[in-house]
Amino acid sequence: MTAVITSPAASRQTRRAKGLATPRLLWLELRHNAMAWLVPVAIGLFWLTTYHKTVAMAPFWDVRADSLQLNAMLDFAIPVTGAAAWMGSREARSRLTDQVTITARPRWARLLIPWAATTIWALTAYLGCVAWLYVETAHQAPWGGPLWWPVVVPAVGVAAFAALGFVVGTYLPSRFTAPLATIAAFFILALSTQLIHGSQSYWNVSPIVTGPWDMGPQPGVATFYPFVPDLSIAQVMFLGGLTVALLGALGLPAGAAGRALRAAAAGLTGAGLLAAGTAVGLAGTGTLGTHGMIDIPALHDAASDRPFQYTPVCSRTAIPVCLNPAYAGYLAATAHALAPLLNQLAGLPGAPARIVQDSVTYQQGTGNCVAVLWRGPSASATSLFSVVLADQLPGPAMTAAQVGDQVASMYVPDLVTRVIGDRPGASQAQSAVARALEMSSGTSSFMSFQGPQGPNSCGPEEQGAPSQRLEVAPGTPAYAAAKRFAALPPATRHAWLMRHAAALRAGQITLAQLP
Amino acid sequence: MTGVRLVRLYAVGRRVPHALMAIVAIAIGLRIALLGNWDAYGALQLPLCFEVAAAVSIVATAASPFGEQERVTGRWLPYLRLAVTTALTAAAIGALLVAAGTGGHPSGGTLDVLRNVAGITGIGLLCAAALGGGLSWTGPTAYLVAGVYALYTVWHPPALTTPWLWPARPPHDLAGALCAALVFAAGLAATALRGARDRPGDSE
Repeated sequence: MTAVITSPAASRQTRRAKGLATPRLLWLELRHNAMAWLVPVAIGLFWLTTYHKTVAMAPFWDVRADSLQLNAMLDFAIPVTGAAAWMGSREARSRLTDQVTITARPRWARLLIPWAATTIWALTAYLGCVAWLYVETAHQAPWGGPLWWPVVVPAVGVAAFAALGFVVGTYLPSRFTAPLATIAAFFILALSTQLIHGSQSYWNVSPIVTGPWDMGPQPGVATFYPFVPDLSIAQVMFLGGLTVALLGALGLPAGAAGRALRAAAAGLTGAGLLAAGTAVGLAGTGTLGTHGMIDIPALHDAASDRPFQYTPVCSRTAIPVCLNPAYAGYLAATAHALAPLLNQLAGLPGAPARIVQDSVTYQQGTGNCVAVLWRGPSASATSLFSVVLADQLPGPAMTAAQVGDQVASMYVPDLVTRVIGDRPGASQAQSAVARALEMSSGTSSFMSFQGPQGPNSCGPEEQGAPSQRLEVAPGTPAYAAAKRFAALPPATRHAWLMRHAAALRAGQITLAQLP
Repeated sequence: MTGVRLVRLYAVGRRVPHALMAIVAIAIGLRIALLGNWDAYGALQLPLCFEVAAAVSIVATAASPFGEQERVTGRWLPYLRLAVTTALTAAAIGALLVAAGTGGHPSGGTLDVLRNVAGITGIGLLCAAALGGGLSWTGPTAYLVAGVYALYTVWHPPALTTPWLWPARPPHDLAGALCAALVFAAGLAATALRGARDRPGDSE
């Protein structure tokens, strides 16, 4: 009989060796992981489909973060699903199942390590790509970010798709498993959005959904109100639950682990499925908030409904033009487009003291339609004149100069009307002066938008009714007077208006009295 | 008889019957999917997903279970590889067209299926020659994402107009067809002459 005496030093050494085994195994798996080969593919896809597209977008954090979440999820889910399926089927492909079954570690614990290695590779690449894009955005976007929830969702999604691929590869080991699982994952991810109908759809839980589907990223969202993370939280809950359930499923078969561990695996699977199911249910209770983001009542923080307090950026024009700091890049162009008129109106009775940018509100229509509403031009009694920029409305992306021109064509007639009083029943002189001011400000549009209904995401733009103003047709005496008045030097015109604006508004000036 | 037996053994060793079953399942899947109502994006992306699935099923047969021994002794191997891959590609194109032809109308039509399946199979064959038969799917699946994005840019400029992203080109576009044909020919030649690169664990 041989007695084995274990010294305390030997015991410590054994414990240390056991503690080091997991990191060592992880290191081995990291060095021999298929995802390492696919990292360049994922980065290449990110560069082609996410980076190029996103940096070309307007420099708003919400717009770019939404684009990141949608595209990066697809870029990374595809390679990580394939790599994980490939790693999951490794033991069977290499005919090593029997050989590794007799190792000291439970099969479940052994399988979790290659999954972890695959996920680490994918997450490292993903976070590197996020850093690349966010650093670029931080240089361009002046305010309002960075937003982190749209970064977290794909990160958890990467882990979930790795778990999905790994489980499929483990249970269905074949040379066809990895490619077909990859394409199935892409199919589910990219085309599941076809089933979305409105903001109360359960399918909004898909990690590529960032807000009302079919509306696309909107610069007006998360600039006047804080980013609402309700949908992101539900998505993270869904993906996290799915990951736990799938990883738990690896420990369920007989022989995967001891009885206690298998019971724990069953508990994890159940808890994961419960979390995922709850998240789907929560996503189905979402409603489109007036701020343009999806509110989920059970997850909603009422504080996010309060608008941001910010110091606007203002121009040095005769009447200052003040914009949300996120729109600072548009200030010069907007002020430049309005400056000729503002120089004429400054100091006149009824002229606003300041032009301020207003937020728009969003309203769910039928299906995936979202109507964008905004307040009309403010009443003449107030010292502020509210405007919305064309970039806040659904439609094609515009340059800063185009946005400025659009603001001028939208609001110059209303500004003129407010000061000159060119309304139905106005005198011919009022109409002529109004027309002259529009001519001299370089605005040819007779059309003005009047709230509250604006463009929507359902099709052709629905424009507000044109202002009911007396039209000054060419060839009429009023038109000739307008041309004559517009031809005056700006200083002369302004001086005349300063002297006669009150009489003009009262209808006491005739066409003949115009200079 | 020996020749037939050789072909049968080669096909079984490469899991060609499994590939054929996968192709049939993919064609049925396409037919079922075409029953649904898809928006413009879905209608464009849907056939491409199934074309890539068929292509990866073809290239999955490139991995050899015998490795060096077969490579050294099998003098008919280049012909077998060439014939089997070509036949599988033709079968995949035929199956998808039959599936689409029975009442479904995939965007792009016949020429689109022919060009896309051939070209993407070529990408997979080149990956098999470079990375190994087991990882031959990496190229086609990455190309799926790029192709879907190129289709998206047709609606949302600036469009990616390079003919190397042929799924986004019109079906009758010559440059796209030439690129796809060139890639298919290169992939076919590479795997027929040298076979897929042998890597441990690629066989099953």
